[in-house]
Amino acid sequence: MTWRAVVAVALLIAGGLLELIAVLGLCVMRSVYDRLHYVGLAGFGGLLVAVAVLVRESFSLIGDKALLVGVVLVLAGPVLVQTTTRSLLTRELGDWRAKTRDGSKDP
Amino acid sequence: MNEWEIAAIVLGFALIPCGAVALLAPSPHALAAVEVAAVLLTTILVLLAEGLHRQPFIDLAVVFAPMSLVGSLLFARLMERDL
Repeated sequence: MTWRAVVAVALLIAGGLLELIAVLGLCVMRSVYDRLHYVGLAGFGGLLVAVAVLVRESFSLIGDKALLVGVVLVLAGPVLVQTTTRSLLTRELGDWRAKTRDGSKDP
Repeated sequence: MNEWEIAAIVLGFALIPCGAVALLAPSPHALAAVEVAAVLLTTILVLLAEGLHRQPFIDLAVVFAPMSLVGSLLFARLMERDL
């Protein structure tokens, strides 16, 4: 077994575990805002799996695309969490920006 | 069966609790579950592409990752207006 294969398997296990922890957290947490934290964690798991593919295949066509997918997943995580949280807050509290424009404090 | 296929199967089973939350929990919780499930599914496609040496699966993952982002953003915006 080459060192590339060993590193790839280690990264694969780490990425898979991160994604399983994300699913576990999604199931265990009760608040939707707590559950949303695990979207970003799952994205980092995807990045580790993509890096595992990259280590095994080097910068080939499949390795480059795997890296692209991993980067998209990691970058999409915070965007999704921020946007979803903002939408849920707006749904619960209404548009708070009108209140801050009037000079009152944030809710 | 190699390690990539085993990982794909394990993550496939991890989709079941996500689906359960998406089906049984209120809609904001379901959205969070769908977002996690989309990441899982993208990773499964990458793993299948590597495990089966099938190039088209990684192309599916390349397309699915941004499409799931756009879909989730759209759901979030619609949920904001309670549609």
